[in-house]
Amino acid sequence: MIRARLIEIGRYTLLVLLAVFLQAVFASQLPLLGVRADIFVITVVLVAVGAGSNTGLIFGFIAGLTADVVFLEPVGTRAFMYLLAGYGVGRYVEEFGLASAWVVVILAAAASLGSQGVYGVMQIAMGAEGSLFSMVRRQMIPSALFDGLLAAPLYLGLVRLKLVHQPRSAGPLFS
Amino acid sequence: MPRNVVLRRRLLLAASIVLSLVLLTAYFREPAAGLLHSVQLGGSDTLSPMQSFATRAVQPFRDGYQWGREVLGANARNERLEAELEALRGELVRLNEAREENLRLKELLDLREAEIFPAGSTFVTARVIGKSPTKWQAWVQIDRGEDDGIRLNQPVVGATVSGDKSLSGKGLVGKVIAVGKRSARVQLIVDSTSSVATLIQGTRAEGILEGTLAGRLIMDFVERDQPVEEKFIVITSGFGQIYPKGIPVGIVLSVGEVDVSIYKQIEVRPFVDFETLEEVMVLTTPLAVAEDPAGMSTVVPKDTASEGQ
Repeated sequence: MIRARLIEIGRYTLLVLLAVFLQAVFASQLPLLGVRADIFVITVVLVAVGAGSNTGLIFGFIAGLTADVVFLEPVGTRAFMYLLAGYGVGRYVEEFGLASAWVVVILAAAASLGSQGVYGVMQIAMGAEGSLFSMVRRQMIPSALFDGLLAAPLYLGLVRLKLVHQPRSAGPLFS
Repeated sequence: MPRNVVLRRRLLLAASIVLSLVLLTAYFREPAAGLLHSVQLGGSDTLSPMQSFATRAVQPFRDGYQWGREVLGANARNERLEAELEALRGELVRLNEAREENLRLKELLDLREAEIFPAGSTFVTARVIGKSPTKWQAWVQIDRGEDDGIRLNQPVVGATVSGDKSLSGKGLVGKVIAVGKRSARVQLIVDSTSSVATLIQGTRAEGILEGTLAGRLIMDFVERDQPVEEKFIVITSGFGQIYPKGIPVGIVLSVGEVDVSIYKQIEVRPFVDFETLEEVMVLTTPLAVAEDPAGMSTVVPKDTASEGQ
């Protein structure tokens, strides 16, 4: 039991490190349509899809703290965003299941959009000047699309590597 | 789902939210050298070699991506500008054509308003749509025909752009020699079978203006004792029942005399430049015609007329 728990913790730690690596090496270096992918939020979604709301929430919080370091954000900002994303996605899957792997793509895009919305509100609350609506068009929607699209290969790869679980209700992978 | 599980989940959510907000608050409240800032900077320092390596490793791909974007952007911009240029060129050509056509039609209008045609003359403006393919003949095809009131032997006048209101460039073109429903053929006065009764302004000397295969206009039958000089204006005399009197035809280019001939040899330069003629006006004056079986009307040879062959 404890061993299984430790393995699980080790797997999630590996996932966080993998997210840091992918974020630092690829996502931060290769913008698409003027935006960069957020590997952390995708990873949080994939963990929440496989492990549920509680694990998603905790993983989101830990991944968020790590992201705050990587992104040099005020510590707690992304922790707050991602814990909400992990919890929300986990609850969705617990309630409705995962009829198709394509739902993961939609969940990742939705989580990305939602977390960026929270982030935007927080930024404005912290005194950032600008229109949230213009950011929706210029940043949030392209970024959500990018993250959603990137979620498919990541989900496929991480499931094959057994780093994230498929929920019992899940259909075949992108068939 | 057990109540305690739900409760635990909610507590966990609330605790996480509170913890993150506490961290956030603490981060903003602590000095720049505080614990959270130090942890963050320490983490950043740990990651920076990896990021630096990644930046260098990915740089060629970034450069390639950037280059590709620039090339694609440049190509797209180039194509867009090329398309715009083509469109503008087309528009320029169209505007130039419209301007030139406007000038030509204005010249025709000047000719029409020159009060040299008989009172009550009516005109049909036509566009030149074809020209004789060989030098053996000199004719043009126009886009107006019987349906537009065009009849055989109706005189045709034209104008080529001269840029002023004078009669320069404006004058006699010829006459209609064949009429279809919607087109007609106009024999030019420079055709070798054309003859026009004319007179020379100033001396009132009369003669017959004939075309040649060389495309020149020779005024024949002018008595040698008539004082004709270069630059004299040649107009239609009105004899011969086809061309009304007074239509400008051309200007005397040279005057010659041959001992064996009792007439002067006068070369006339037509006012109209037949090479660039694009629009004409047909004076709609009815004349005797005959229909041939092919449906095209042809000129009835007039033995009595001095012009019209």
